Amino acid sequence: MTDAAAPNTNRPSKSLLAADKRTKSRNAAESRFKMMGIAAITIGLVFLVILVTAIIRSGVPAFTRTVVQVDFVLTQEQFDTAEKAVLKTGAYTKIFAEYVAQEAEAKGIEAEVTPKALERIMGKIGADIREYYRAHPDKIGQPVKFDLAASSRVDAYLNGDITREGFVSSRFLETGDLDVIDAMVEAGLIKTGWDTTFLFGADAGVDNPGGAGIGVAVVGSFFMMLVVLVLSLPISVAASIYLEEFAPKNRFTDLIEVNISNLAAVPSIVFGILGLAVFIQFMHLPQSAPLVGGLVLTLMTLPTIIISTRASLKAVPPSIRDAALGVGASKMQTVFHHVLPLAAPGILTGTIIGLAQALGETAPLLLIGMVGFVARAYPDSFIGGFTEANSVMPAQIYTWASRADPGFYEKAWGGIIILLVFLLTMNIIAIILRRRFERRW
Amino acid sequence: MYDTPTTVQTDVDAMETKFECRDCQVYYGDSHAIKDVNCDLKANTVTAFIGPSGCGKSTFLRCLNRMNDTIDIARVEGNFRLDGEDIYDKAVDPVQLRAKVGMVFQKPNPFPKSIYDNVAYGPRIHGLAKNKAELDEIVEKALRRGAIWDEVKDRLDSTGTGLSGGQQQRLCIARAVATEPEVLLMDEPCSALDPIATAQVEELIDELRQNYSVVIVTHSMQQAARVSQKTAFFHLGNLVEFGDTGQIFTNPKDPRTESYITGRIG
Repeated sequence: MTDAAAPNTNRPSKSLLAADKRTKSRNAAESRFKMMGIAAITIGLVFLVILVTAIIRSGVPAFTRTVVQVDFVLTQEQFDTAEKAVLKTGAYTKIFAEYVAQEAEAKGIEAEVTPKALERIMGKIGADIREYYRAHPDKIGQPVKFDLAASSRVDAYLNGDITREGFVSSRFLETGDLDVIDAMVEAGLIKTGWDTTFLFGADAGVDNPGGAGIGVAVVGSFFMMLVVLVLSLPISVAASIYLEEFAPKNRFTDLIEVNISNLAAVPSIVFGILGLAVFIQFMHLPQSAPLVGGLVLTLMTLPTIIISTRASLKAVPPSIRDAALGVGASKMQTVFHHVLPLAAPGILTGTIIGLAQALGETAPLLLIGMVGFVARAYPDSFIGGFTEANSVMPAQIYTWASRADPGFYEKAWGGIIILLVFLLTMNIIAIILRRRFERRW
Repeated sequence: MYDTPTTVQTDVDAMETKFECRDCQVYYGDSHAIKDVNCDLKANTVTAFIGPSGCGKSTFLRCLNRMNDTIDIARVEGNFRLDGEDIYDKAVDPVQLRAKVGMVFQKPNPFPKSIYDNVAYGPRIHGLAKNKAELDEIVEKALRRGAIWDEVKDRLDSTGTGLSGGQQQRLCIARAVATEPEVLLMDEPCSALDPIATAQVEELIDELRQNYSVVIVTHSMQQAARVSQKTAFFHLGNLVEFGDTGQIFTNPKDPRTESYITGRIG
């Protein structure tokens, strides 16, 4: 007879219906933990909601713009007079101002429209109009539908960001101009529409937020991410497979492993300096090129993908390797036929984290010259997309955010919306790919 | 004491020697896992390795198709001859060896692929089939030998991991025989199976003996007595006793063997 069979006399049997002290404190600890978990998630969600609301509230106006829409007729006589004037564009502005005043009057609205006020409201329209008629002389004497962008101050006034109370006249906008704007709105000359310039345009000068667009920077980001993807994915997957499956485990490989982990923790600006020194100053690759940006960010993304790839290779059960080796598969067949497909979803997850990091990176790109104001024109060709000077979305946003004109403020927020949409698209593609991989098994 | 199994063939010594192992040592780092093991495994014979946990049966089994190569810290010494050829010779590619010496593992480990692809994988990588029809034939034959054809013939495209444990193990056996090995190593193939599946696998092992030399590691002494003709008893890394199954179970020479099979140690 063993001790286990001895009756336990000193501990009385307890009822199951009443929870004892220990059980109560255990249950209390559990519910406390649950509460903390729920609180943590709630705090996270609240911040997310605040963030998304802030971005949308501040960013959406960037997608719309105020345009002055008029059916303008320029007579041959007016054209001739204006072309003879000393200040030719000024003459055009004057003609246009008279026309706007006429239009307002026809609708029964009194307003004093001076050429100066119009220039403050609409920028240098005289030059725009002159350029148009010099290019299309056949349109003289015919009604032409003009869509002329209003300045960002007008946007702000119509949004309610600028109000008459506490308004201080400046060289950008005077108090009298507000009456002109009101009159033009009443006359139906000012309308709000989609801002295609913002979506498809290039960066503009510091005093022209209305003409600034993120399109070129989006293209820059696209070509840069292409370089990052094409270089970092194969290199890091190959490196991880070698290190995990083939390399002997010795001091040297340990050293490499430690260094890869350290590399993942190096501040990104260090990679920027490295890129500047090696790719631009030493290898003489073109400055501000998405190719160089891609190379720099590849260096930064490699450790991220290597670490996650190695983790997912490690997670493949060894029994699968045994099974493949047991039927006489070579090491490489084992890895490529069985281990890698099982690790693929994990590798994709790591890749998307690495790429998302690269997409949002600003600091190292500023160092190699991918600054916002460089994004002035679309690349001429596919190759040009890699080599011609360009910027990327986060650098463009950073440049806009640091400009004085408040019009750029909402452009920066709008840029963030585009950046997030780009990121979301990338993630959705990755998720679809992952689904497809998994279905094969 | 067990009854002398009726299926035991007593004239297995007449068979030719398939595997010849001399002075075998295995080290895991500093620990000496297999000590001075000498044994001859006969062709067309089922040899059972028995012994308490951690005695080195599985380690020795894995030496026979060089699966220990995949363990970094394992070191194998000694002389292993398959049909007279040293399998640890530098000129030997373990891949070719493993095609000749198949293995079934303790835990069923089908690939997460279709049943068909599981069985077809080995023949494919070894180029055993010239075309699809031949491959189909090989797959069907292997599945029939694995005694699982009737259960899966209508769903060859469904995944192997979706089968029950016993079916998975028989699928793994089918996968192992599909490459036409000469020796089949089985590492506790029935430890995860219920008695019915175990009976099916044992019946299968007996049939496989017609074509292969089978080595089976088992914790069940009844199983060793039922399926094997030769039995080797391992204890603490030593091969304590090796002989005809009937003799080991009825008339063990070594006191340790007797203690183990009567349940006093182990």
